[in-house]
Amino acid sequence: MTDETATRADDIPDGLSGIRDAVSVRLPAASAYLSVLRTATAGLAARLDFTLDEIEDLRIAVDEACAMLLGHAVPGTDLLAEFELTGQEMIVRVEVSTVGQSEPKRDDFAWMVLTALADDVDAVTDSPDRMAIVLRKRRGSARLS
Amino acid sequence: MDLKLDHHTEDRLTIVEVEGEIDVYTAPRLRELLIDLVNKGNFHLLVNMEKVDFLDSTGLGVLVGGLKRVRAHDGSLELVCTQERILKIFRITGLTKVFGIYASVEEAKEAHGRDK
Repeated sequence: MTDETATRADDIPDGLSGIRDAVSVRLPAASAYLSVLRTATAGLAARLDFTLDEIEDLRIAVDEACAMLLGHAVPGTDLLAEFELTGQEMIVRVEVSTVGQSEPKRDDFAWMVLTALADDVDAVTDSPDRMAIVLRKRRGSARLS
Repeated sequence: MDLKLDHHTEDRLTIVEVEGEIDVYTAPRLRELLIDLVNKGNFHLLVNMEKVDFLDSTGLGVLVGGLKRVRAHDGSLELVCTQERILKIFRITGLTKVFGIYASVEEAKEAHGRDK
C-alpha cells in the first residue's frame, strides 16, 4: 500500500486539515481479498471523519464494485484500487484486466446497491482490456436513511 | 472474519445460524447449505442474521435463491434481523417486501406456529 500526499491544495476548504491524499491498493483479483479491501476502505474513510453510516456505505459500495469487476477479471491478475481523499469526499477507482470489452450489468442487485450507497458511480470501459468503476462519496450527503 | 454456519431443526422449522461476513467469497458456502437443507426435505427455513457483520448483494442473491427453492415445495424462508446496516441493504433492493423479517427467533417461531 502506498500513501502519497499530493501538493495540490488549491480548492480545499478550511477545516479537516486540507487533506488531499492518494492511496493505491493492489491485490490479487480474487474474492478472498475483498475483505482486506473493505477494511482499507473503512480505515481511509475514517481518516476523513466520515460518519459510521457513511463508512459502512463506502465499505459496501467498494465491495459491490469489486465483486462486479471480479466476474470479468482475468484469473491471476491484480485488482487495483485507487482512493483519492479530499477534505470533503472520497473518490474510489477500482480496476481489473479483462479479455475484451464488457459493461457491468446495470439491472441487478449489485448495481442497485452500489448506486444507492455512493453519490456518483460511473463504469469506465474505454480500454479494450481494462474495466473500471469509479465511485464518489461525499461527507454529510446521506441519501438514504 | 470468516463465515460460520450452523443449523438445527425444531418442530419442522430449520433454524440456520449465520455468523460473520457474507460476501462474494463466502456466499457460496451459505448457498450450498441452503441447497443441501432443501434437498434433505427441510422446506421451512429461518435464517438468523443477528451475528452477520457484513452482507452484500451476493448474499442477497443466495437468500433469494433459497427462497425460490423452498417456495417450489410450498415452504418458507424467513429472516431474523434487527441490525439497521443489514436491513438497509434489504430496503435498497426492495427485499423487505419479499422476506418475512423478524426481530428474534422466538418471534419468528411464534409466527411460524400460527401459520401451520
